[in-house]
Amino acid sequence: MKKTKLGEFEELVLMTVVVLQADAYGVEIKRELESRLNETLSVGSIQSALKRMEEKGFLKSEFGEASQKRGGKRKRIYQATPHAHKVLQEMKDVRSQLWASMPSMVRS
Amino acid sequence: MNYTKNDIQPPRWSLQLLKFFVKKNYLEEIEGDMEEVFEDNLEIYSTKKARRLYNREVIKLLKPNLVRALGGNHQLNYFGMLQHNLLITLRGFWRHKTSFLINLIGLSTGLAAALLIFLWVQDERSIDTFHEKNDQLYWVMANFAINDDVRTWDYTTGRLADALLADFPEVEESVRVGNGFFRPRGTVAYEETLFEVNGLFAGTNFFEMMTYEVILGNPREAILNKNSVAISESLATSIFGSSQNAIGKTLDWEDRLVNKEFEITAVFKAPPKNASKHFNIVLNYDNLIERDRWADEWNGGYAQTYVILKKGTNIDDFNRKIAGYMNLKSDSDRFTLFVQKYADNYLYGEYTSGIQTGGRIENVRLFTFIGIFILAIACINFMNLSTAQASKKLKEVGVKKAIGAKRIALIFQFLSESILLATFSLILSIGIVSLTLQQFNVISGKSLDLSLQQYLLPITGLVVLTGIFAGSYPAFYLSGFKPAAILKGKLANPRSEGWIRKGLVIVQFSLSVIFIIGVIVINQQIEFTQKKSLGYDRESILTFRERGATYQDPQPFFNELMKIPGVLGAANMSGDFLTADDNNSGFSWIEGTKDDDNHLFKSPKVGYNFIETLGLEILEGRSFSRDFNDGIGSIILNEAAVEYMELDNPIGTKIGWSEDLTMEVIGVVKNFQYGSLHNKIEPLILQFRKTGKKHFVKLQPGSEVETIAAVEKAFETLHPGQIFKGSLLADDYTDLYHSENKVADLSNYMAGIAIIISCLGLFGLAAFTAERRTKEIGIRKILGASQRVIIGLLTSSFTKTVVISIVLALPLGYLAVSKWLENFAYAVEIQWWVFALAGLACLVIAWITVGFQTIKASMVNPAQCLRNE
Repeated sequence: MKKTKLGEFEELVLMTVVVLQADAYGVEIKRELESRLNETLSVGSIQSALKRMEEKGFLKSEFGEASQKRGGKRKRIYQATPHAHKVLQEMKDVRSQLWASMPSMVRS
Repeated sequence: MNYTKNDIQPPRWSLQLLKFFVKKNYLEEIEGDMEEVFEDNLEIYSTKKARRLYNREVIKLLKPNLVRALGGNHQLNYFGMLQHNLLITLRGFWRHKTSFLINLIGLSTGLAAALLIFLWVQDERSIDTFHEKNDQLYWVMANFAINDDVRTWDYTTGRLADALLADFPEVEESVRVGNGFFRPRGTVAYEETLFEVNGLFAGTNFFEMMTYEVILGNPREAILNKNSVAISESLATSIFGSSQNAIGKTLDWEDRLVNKEFEITAVFKAPPKNASKHFNIVLNYDNLIERDRWADEWNGGYAQTYVILKKGTNIDDFNRKIAGYMNLKSDSDRFTLFVQKYADNYLYGEYTSGIQTGGRIENVRLFTFIGIFILAIACINFMNLSTAQASKKLKEVGVKKAIGAKRIALIFQFLSESILLATFSLILSIGIVSLTLQQFNVISGKSLDLSLQQYLLPITGLVVLTGIFAGSYPAFYLSGFKPAAILKGKLANPRSEGWIRKGLVIVQFSLSVIFIIGVIVINQQIEFTQKKSLGYDRESILTFRERGATYQDPQPFFNELMKIPGVLGAANMSGDFLTADDNNSGFSWIEGTKDDDNHLFKSPKVGYNFIETLGLEILEGRSFSRDFNDGIGSIILNEAAVEYMELDNPIGTKIGWSEDLTMEVIGVVKNFQYGSLHNKIEPLILQFRKTGKKHFVKLQPGSEVETIAAVEKAFETLHPGQIFKGSLLADDYTDLYHSENKVADLSNYMAGIAIIISCLGLFGLAAFTAERRTKEIGIRKILGASQRVIIGLLTSSFTKTVVISIVLALPLGYLAVSKWLENFAYAVEIQWWVFALAGLACLVIAWITVGFQTIKASMVNPAQCLRNE
């Protein structure tokens, strides 16, 4: 855990990238997360999180095809690295262990 | 909606902003995302709202990791260049330690001298400017025509102030103040204890018009009453312990001018140190009138008159209006009034024949020039050394130009180098100034302090200017080389370069020679004032003033004094001897010889024994004597007066003074210097007054200290309630040349600094030349040149330069000193040897400076210097 610095919001974005697979580009991630979280997010916060995670090695990216809708600008498709998968798994493990050890009262 | 979605664009300025700040490699993606979101929003919301949302999104994109570095690559280059320049500069300083040190020492000494002078000049200029209405405050002066000349007086009649206020609409306010002759000075008593006071008679609105802050009491009513006085805070503290205690207390004052009790009604803050008038007690002017009715007569001259003129008054017009005012009011038609700014009177206080000719401003100008010259000499060092070393920088310049540096960038580099050096020097010089300021204050008689905050702007300006001035020539010179020529190894016309350098050295040394001449002549003149025979004896004469309220016969006191073994003689006079301000007019003799009252004579009033005590020489007739029972009718003339009055046989001549008095000449005294040597010996009439209060005691040389103590004791026994304050006549005489002595002291130091800086520069140049010519010297030696020939070779070029500068400096120096000597009626003659000495001294100093380097160079082993390439 110690070497991974993954914030809460970053984790959500990362998981969305994994979920969306080939569709994982900025606006699509934003839409997906907005609908799941039921709140509005800014392009800036999504982009900032994506760039940060790319720098830390959780994501890699490449340009996709250009589309009419974006004024001819290309999308950048993001993909989680194996390291990211591992970290996500670790975090999930830690959480489920913690859940398992919690008293039943809270669990319901 | 007629638009298709694609026609509606996001707000343009917002998009521009986005393009401006987002990192370049993220731009396409983010711009695309933003556009997609915008289109989504267009489908849901109105165009307006979509645009608003777009704007908001752009603002939210301002995240540290999305925004590109401030300024970007473009400006990083400038920064890099500055860094590089700094590095090169510092390396250069490190590599050429000698010339760096020479420059640093020279510039910092020069800057320190300039800073000190700047502080001094600033202080002189600030004198009397602290008054709130400084811009409107004027001093009414009078030109008085007499003896076919015009004298300018800073005093006028006591009635003028009120009259001007009444008759001229331009005058907003006016006040009269007793003039220098009528200032109440003496001792006041509070419960038996005596205190020294230095006062002023002033009109009742004095504290309202002039800015001397009243701390306690009402400024309007401070001296409204004849029996009330205002005293300064420090006097209040020394008498009563605090200002509060002083109010309402009574002071007892017994003096010739003032003799009564006063109630203290106000306490004021002592005049600031940049005030020309210092006083610690202020009395109502009516007290002066009470003692002397002439203080309030149109024909008297007892007051200084200050006025506040309305804003926007044209001074020339106003002067024209008041010029003839006195003719209407008094029975004399010789007065012409004019006003001068109150604050200007300190600097521009001298008049010749009624025309403003100078004053202290001359010293201010003199020192401003000296400061600029010293700084220029230091800057020249920098110019010379950096151009001399140009060859070492040529490659750098060539390479830089070849890879595309513009000339302006190089100029900038060299200028920043000199500004950096100037900044280092400034830091050093501020250190020097704060170390020497104490000493400088002693020499200049000021209490200056260096407040960096106050002078931050001028000082920064000075440094930048110095840097630019010093760096300008090298910067333009070095940056002008053609890269191809440099890299091929061709020097750009070294001949003209040498001439400019020589020219600069000539300027330096010319200034130094002028300084030396100036210093010699100033010191000669100072010595002359001390050594010149004045026609009287001023050594071992103790002088002091008796300040009692009434005139009394001093004879009992003198009898007491004569009993003291060390006392050789005692005498008295009215007024003062050295200030020489006792004039009288209105004399007439042998009817019709000259126009009646148009003669002004110096006219001191002396008692018995005065002539003997001061050692004046009687040429004809006799001195005042008890045997003849002399009175006001006996007078003694000096030779100048005899000549002026065209008397063939002066003894016994009857001279009329005013209508009811005829006086008789009983003797002629040899001409003597009445006052300082600034003034010519003028016609003088010695009158007799028995009861003068200025005393002179001739002491036996050798035992002065004990005798003075005995005199003091006798004085205090016979004059209870008075403080004895004696001084030696010789010291008072020296004080007459106070300002000249200061100029002499200061210019001695400044000349020394100028010469040292010049020599530093020459030393650097010599070292450089010797180094550059090592190979030449080596070859010459191999071919058989002796050490002497080499020394001659190296010295001759410097000698030529210095000789040229001496030749140039001599006439300039002559002009400068003869102008200065014009201030004196009696001055030393300018002798040729002064110039010879100054020139020779400069040459010798130059030789010594260069000699060390030259001898070192001539001793070099040719094998050594030719071997290494």
